[in-house]
Amino acid sequence: MASIDTPSTPKDSTTVPLITRLHGWVISVDHKRIGIMYLLMSFLFLILGGVQGLFIRMQLWGPNGTVVDADTYNQLFTMHGTTMIFFVLMPMLGGFANFVVPLMIGARDVAFPRLNAMGFWLSFFGGCVLYYSHLGAEGLYGAASAPDIGWFAYAPLTSPAFSRGNATDYWILGTTLTGVGAISLAVNMVATIFTMRAPGMRLTKMPLYVLLFLVDAILILLVFPPFAAAQFMLLLDRFLGAHFFDPQVGGSALLWQHLFWFFGHPEVYILALPAFAVISEVIPVFSRKVIFGYLSMAAATIAIGFISCGVWAHHMFTVGLSDTLDTFFAGATMLVAIPTGIKIFNWVATMYGGRLRLQTPMLYALGFLTLFLFGGLTGIMLASPPFDWQASDSAFLVGHFHYTLVGGILFAFLAGFYYWYPKMFGRMMSERLGIIQFAFTYIGFNALFIPMHIVGMLGMPRRIYTYTDPSWTIWNQISTIGAFMMAIGLLLFLYNFFSSLRHGKIAGDDPWDAWTLEWNTTSPPPCYNFKEIPTVRSRRPLWDLKHPDDPDWKHE
Amino acid sequence: MNEQYQHDQQPSTPQQGILMPRPTAAPLVLAFGVMLIACGLVLNYAFSAVGLVLVLGGLARWIYILASGTGEELVPLEREPAPVKISRVQVEPLRPGMAGHRMKIPLEVHPYSAGLKGGIIGGIAMAVTALAYGLISGRGLWYPVNLLGGMVVPSVVHWTPAELAQFHFMEFAIGTVIFGFTAIAVGLMFGILLPTMPRWPILWGGIVAPVLWTGAIYSFMGILNPALGEHIDWEWFFVSQFAYGITVGIVVVRTEKIPVSGIKK
Repeated sequence: MASIDTPSTPKDSTTVPLITRLHGWVISVDHKRIGIMYLLMSFLFLILGGVQGLFIRMQLWGPNGTVVDADTYNQLFTMHGTTMIFFVLMPMLGGFANFVVPLMIGARDVAFPRLNAMGFWLSFFGGCVLYYSHLGAEGLYGAASAPDIGWFAYAPLTSPAFSRGNATDYWILGTTLTGVGAISLAVNMVATIFTMRAPGMRLTKMPLYVLLFLVDAILILLVFPPFAAAQFMLLLDRFLGAHFFDPQVGGSALLWQHLFWFFGHPEVYILALPAFAVISEVIPVFSRKVIFGYLSMAAATIAIGFISCGVWAHHMFTVGLSDTLDTFFAGATMLVAIPTGIKIFNWVATMYGGRLRLQTPMLYALGFLTLFLFGGLTGIMLASPPFDWQASDSAFLVGHFHYTLVGGILFAFLAGFYYWYPKMFGRMMSERLGIIQFAFTYIGFNALFIPMHIVGMLGMPRRIYTYTDPSWTIWNQISTIGAFMMAIGLLLFLYNFFSSLRHGKIAGDDPWDAWTLEWNTTSPPPCYNFKEIPTVRSRRPLWDLKHPDDPDWKHE
Repeated sequence: MNEQYQHDQQPSTPQQGILMPRPTAAPLVLAFGVMLIACGLVLNYAFSAVGLVLVLGGLARWIYILASGTGEELVPLEREPAPVKISRVQVEPLRPGMAGHRMKIPLEVHPYSAGLKGGIIGGIAMAVTALAYGLISGRGLWYPVNLLGGMVVPSVVHWTPAELAQFHFMEFAIGTVIFGFTAIAVGLMFGILLPTMPRWPILWGGIVAPVLWTGAIYSFMGILNPALGEHIDWEWFFVSQFAYGITVGIVVVRTEKIPVSGIKK
């Protein structure tokens, strides 16, 4: 049985020395603190990945650029992609899952709090290992000081013959560690959601946010283990000469592509579903309406999770698969558009006729809708193999996936930051700065990535460190200007985030007049979340409390 | 008892506080050890040895706090959240004619089956027109079918005219699926949208929609699949779209309307 002891959590943090406070954070197993640490981790790596992106854009400012050399450019886009996927967006996912889900289901913590902490630290140390390659990867060979194999690490680039030194090894180890961390997170989410929901919260009464994270966690459990296996095989290739991916001695380079993209494409949806979850909370609250079509949204989510596991080879149309495979994967990919379209229509229908409040979270939600729709439409274009053959390795594709990953997912997470910040810290972020930041980020983003579609159609390949065609110059220059505008926007966000900790307006417990359980406790919440576990009867329990004459459970 | 937090079994004791997991460095130490074990592969096996010691130490501490029951602590209660403000504002359902709203709800609509039927019959009309084109132009009965399959199968763009005129099962199957799905989906859309169009629904379905659709396809084909676009006879493309649109329009409009409430039944 548990013992009863004096609390180790300090009552008043302002009277406690900084070192003690930091110690309190690093040994914490509280889901809210771990969530915030995930988010802070994502900020750290966002700065690193962002600077890499800026160097890429500066190098491509004009023909025959000399800002960096070809090898450094290869390292830059490798580190940029790896950092943004594994160490920026994944930790944001972890942060929002950890902070919000237990509160929203009326639980006091996650099912496995210590495993949760271990998962976070594994993810963080994974990032440290990757970046240690800058210091320690030269090994005995004096070779590349950072991985230069792309975020997808295609064979045979990763073989010892083409990747001397240890940079690639650090890439494998770093991403494997963070992958194990992600699996820990997913196990926790599944167990927490299935076993710790408040009384009365049946599976069909869960807020969409929770349902989406449940499907997301199941996806993680499905695709990260095969990826870990692939990385282990790659380690065996590199250290023990196993030749899994070496076609010269009976291995298959294509096998790596299959294994990688079996993880890599669902990974896009692993990142997108939490973004959808955030949007499914923000849009109803700021439209003052219940979400439109809950059941169809739930069905679409499950359909996306299911279909996303069967589309990976659309990343491989250009390797020369058979017509049969091309056809199957093209059809499956186009099929994803149906549930995704249902979601977009439902979000729009939620806004229709609502009393819109155009505050910063809603602005980002609207930004998400426009940008994700654009990214989705170019995705359907790329799902057609004849088009993909022309555009696959061009800047068009770079533009497309940035619209999905940044325009879609990052914008949704930014909406989430503004929305749940008052709950996390008890203060509001500056609305004025938020609007200015949104303008910089939205305009900068479009200036950065729309020209990539054009210059891609003009024939500019991706992953080239320089070019000679002068007709591409203007588009690249617009892109570079857009990149700096976006960087200003994100710096403003970070400034807003940290300055509001001290100077933000006191938020109160329910600043948005929202409807889910996390707004029914203090801001920030106590470590036990709720003094008494609430009982719920509908998907909007706080609405029921606020409107006893017209509760939701009468209509659901 | 496994690690699962015990509040499920033990109700809160508001007078004393609430039992919560006690902070511990065990997960951090264990994770750091795992990282060192991994890094030992590339740095030196001494790192792995130190990592192993840390993993065992972290694991031992973890097991100890679970086994000894020292994993929880009593956390005192903090301030209560602000009481929920009761709102007496009623949510009024939208009704036709309500002031301040543009709501227009039709009292009668065509059933979904009208769109479905229209899509199928219109699809047959379109297929007959397209196949007739293949025969009349001398390019072969299967020419339009193969082109449709070529939307997905990249190798079709390299086929010779003779190959395009022949029957190919794969392209036939793909073309049939694409065609059938699209014809029914667009038919359902027509079934819903056409009655909402002003004055002459058949005109919208038979002329305006095919013109817009053909124009859009023509514009995008240069980007989507320029090689395939060269094979398409755009006049006939429009004629087949027209055949589809006008047929769907007639089928939908001739179907008897039902009350809106009938849809839910």
